[in-house]
Amino acid sequence: MKKAITLSLILFGILYIGRSLVPPRYNPAIEVEQFAQLPLLYKGRLKPMDTTARNALLIIHGKQTFKDKSGERISAIEWLMDLTMRSDVADNYKVFYASHPDILGLFNIPHEKAADFKFNFSFNELLPHLEEIERQAKLANPEAQLRTPYERSILKLRQDLVLYQQLAHSLTSPQFVSSLKEEYQVYLGLMPEGVRAFNQQQAGEDHNEDALNHFMSFAHRYQILSETAAFSIIPPRMGSPDSTYWQSTGQSLIETIMTGKIDEVVLAYAGVIDAYRSENHGDFNATLTDLQTLIDKRNNTGWNSFRSEYIFNYFSPFYLSLTIYVLVFILVCISWLVWPDTLGRAAYWLLILAFSVHTLGLLARIFIQGRPPVTNLYSSAVFVGWGAVLFSVILERIYRNGIGSAVAALLGFCTLLIAHHLGGSGDTLEMMQAVLDSNFWLATHVVTVTLGYSATFLAGFLGLIYICRGFLTKSLDNSTALAIYRMVYGTVCFALLFSFVGTVLGGIWADQSWGRFWGWDPKENGALLIVIWNVLVIHAILGKMVLQRGLMILVVVGNIITSWSWFGTNMLGVGLHSYGFTDSAFFWLTLFWLSQFIFIAIGLLPHGYWRSRLVVSE
Amino acid sequence: MLLKIISSLKLTVWLLVLSLVLVFFGTLDQVHFGIRATQQKYFESVIALWQYPLQWPLGESLHWIHFPIPGGYLIGPLLLVNLIAAHATRFVLRWNKAGIYIIHLGLILLLLGQLNTQLFQEENYMWVEEGKSANYLESHHHDELIITDITDPKVDGVVSIPIDLIDKQPTSLQHPRLPFRVETKAFYPNAAIVQRRHLTEKLPEMIFNRGLGREKDFVVWERPMTYMQDERNVTTAIIELVGTEGSLGIWLVSNVFDEKFPHQHFKYEERDYEIALRIKRTYLPYKIELIDFTHDRYMGTDIPKNFSSKVRIVNPQSSEDRQTLIYMNHPLRYKGRTFFQAAFDQQTEKSSMFQVVNNPGWLIPYISCGMISIGLIFQFGYRFIKSSGNKN
Repeated sequence: MKKAITLSLILFGILYIGRSLVPPRYNPAIEVEQFAQLPLLYKGRLKPMDTTARNALLIIHGKQTFKDKSGERISAIEWLMDLTMRSDVADNYKVFYASHPDILGLFNIPHEKAADFKFNFSFNELLPHLEEIERQAKLANPEAQLRTPYERSILKLRQDLVLYQQLAHSLTSPQFVSSLKEEYQVYLGLMPEGVRAFNQQQAGEDHNEDALNHFMSFAHRYQILSETAAFSIIPPRMGSPDSTYWQSTGQSLIETIMTGKIDEVVLAYAGVIDAYRSENHGDFNATLTDLQTLIDKRNNTGWNSFRSEYIFNYFSPFYLSLTIYVLVFILVCISWLVWPDTLGRAAYWLLILAFSVHTLGLLARIFIQGRPPVTNLYSSAVFVGWGAVLFSVILERIYRNGIGSAVAALLGFCTLLIAHHLGGSGDTLEMMQAVLDSNFWLATHVVTVTLGYSATFLAGFLGLIYICRGFLTKSLDNSTALAIYRMVYGTVCFALLFSFVGTVLGGIWADQSWGRFWGWDPKENGALLIVIWNVLVIHAILGKMVLQRGLMILVVVGNIITSWSWFGTNMLGVGLHSYGFTDSAFFWLTLFWLSQFIFIAIGLLPHGYWRSRLVVSE
Repeated sequence: MLLKIISSLKLTVWLLVLSLVLVFFGTLDQVHFGIRATQQKYFESVIALWQYPLQWPLGESLHWIHFPIPGGYLIGPLLLVNLIAAHATRFVLRWNKAGIYIIHLGLILLLLGQLNTQLFQEENYMWVEEGKSANYLESHHHDELIITDITDPKVDGVVSIPIDLIDKQPTSLQHPRLPFRVETKAFYPNAAIVQRRHLTEKLPEMIFNRGLGREKDFVVWERPMTYMQDERNVTTAIIELVGTEGSLGIWLVSNVFDEKFPHQHFKYEERDYEIALRIKRTYLPYKIELIDFTHDRYMGTDIPKNFSSKVRIVNPQSSEDRQTLIYMNHPLRYKGRTFFQAAFDQQTEKSSMFQVVNNPGWLIPYISCGMISIGLIFQFGYRFIKSSGNKN
């Protein structure tokens, strides 16, 4: 019976993961999936349509899907297809979000009415207010830190509108024509006469005014297209000297004046767009396959990770493991009250499952980006969690008391939740700043320092479990307490090792790159604080200045220090390491510190207030 | 008794607490005072006085709050004494302690090395244009007063007077190689210099009567010093030169004149001179020529991916003449100095700036950190193996 429970729980976990591997369902008549894997160049990185769609919708709407008028859920890629090929449809989707009362006031919309549709607006609804939004955005304080919430909201809305427009101009002009293919042919036909007239006009000679005007109306339209497009979709031609020179549709069409020939990829895209606009599903699928073949033929840079990235996107391994970590934590907590063996074992194996998915996600990122795991704040959160879970799994293997599983689940959940929120601001696989562009040092210094964070947090969270179990329950007996004490001690030793070696490697990197080992930069100082703190904890133990509870309080203080070095130092905006920071991060960081102070206070309460009666022996 | 306290672990822990406080506030103050000023105030001092920043919530009413924080030059030596005393009183030669000895020996070396760095490391920079060469470094923070005898076109008789000799007013200074005295009429660590015709308000007549200050009708006033990383103080002085027969005149000199105006020239006793206050230079016995500066961008963006400078080193002393490449993470180490790619002219993309560091003790951290790392691995590994041995 007990075995059956364990097995069914594990089976549930496997099925849950397996379900996420099934591709999302789109309109079965058209090959959305294939379109989602088309490559493009955006912000310096080659990526599939799907990634751009998800990131853009996440920025504009705050989520990766939304519901249309009929209540049907629309995915990011379907939205991007409509936006880039049938913007008249997309302009009615309520994807923009504005809830600030002053913005609603600006639009003359009562709060209750806006609340009815959850403060979501379509482009068409915003259209009458575009000028006013632009004017208000210009009036906003140029100094970012001094802006009021209203100013921030209006600027955000304006930014979203700009991005929206750029996307809408990325495949072709949003103006509707019955056949894009024909339009391009007309343009090509007008070209010889138009170019001749243009040259004559420049030379001050007689010229055919009609031919010139007609041709220039096209050229002008493509000029706007090339200036507005968000991303480039035309891969460099075979044998092109610059294999990184991707063009947008507009650029390519302007270049046609020089070459006299429309790029076949542009034409193939026109076929796809025409078919999509006329809702001719058979044509759409056929032209899309042609387009894919053309693009594949030009594939000479070896980029082939688009399919993996597409799968990575819908599989969303980090979100998946986050949810399993929650389940594990709940199971472990129950196991401390009933059925310790059964539930404990199930929790452990589910933890292993979640950790495997977590690892898989990490490896996929490394493969797609071609970089070591930590390249920005987002990926550091993913990796801190990964390291902490790894260490805890080892602890669980050694001690087998559920505490390792619990702390693993807790840390995995917290760090992935942080990552989830950090990921809302765009592409998490973004390009690196030039100074940081060194795979060797990213792989050594950054990884080791981040593992130092993991271990310090692990010690701190073990301390939290000790304090919570001791204060809230009677389940903390002497042997468990001693086990936690040993776990913490060992973890602190590892934390010191990793944070010290990592910091030193950072010094060596700095010396190699800038000729100085140490510069008292905030992030360097932050790492130093962690090292000093771990040294302090070890000396306090050796000097018998703290016993069990004292140690737990010290490691909880370590949580505050580590989160300061991890996030706080970035908020100062000084020095070489100041990258990536959001206003709301400060709020959450303060809240975290506050919570830690409360735990410290609980830890300091006299024994009588704790529910577990511990006899502290050395 | 005293020895017991000095060598105690309790003292170690409290010193570590103090160093945490020091590092924390030494980081916090960087927001308002920049890295360099904070470094001097906290890490290169015996005691620092922290003040509640005006910019913080309730800054207006809490700005009076001060409290002393022990500085790097207090905590560092105390930690050293504590460490040495602890080992001296409790030393036993045993295998299971070997790691600890190596760690602490490395730590002593690290602390001494950091002291050495703080005392002797020099950071300068060098700008070179493509096709040209440079044989001097410029200081990030120091300036000098220069008086040059240019009568003989072949040899410049340069007299350099460090700023700290003239930054008090009034100062009178007689240099053995100058036939006149140098007197400071006014000194501004940071100043605003504006032509009078650009001003709407009436400001009093300035006292200088020669050179640029007179010609352009400049008005000068003092400004608070800046500590920001990418800003430089406009060091400015009003200098009177006094010969045997009385004053030669009063000049306005400033470190921003050098790149904008021709040198200020004057005649005295049939000889030609120039006077300038400029960024302090260090001349090198060799020169660096910039052959080519290049940088790549990420495709389809303006984000720089890397910068690199192809340079030629010409050293007549060692008859060296060779090319090399300086780029991100790959500096040039030459004759005790490290040249690394720091910046470039964003507009022309034709000139390159190298940060030049001279740190005689640059190897020490490598050795000491290596020792500490080995010690840590040994000690924890020893414990780990022992404790898992006990379990089985």
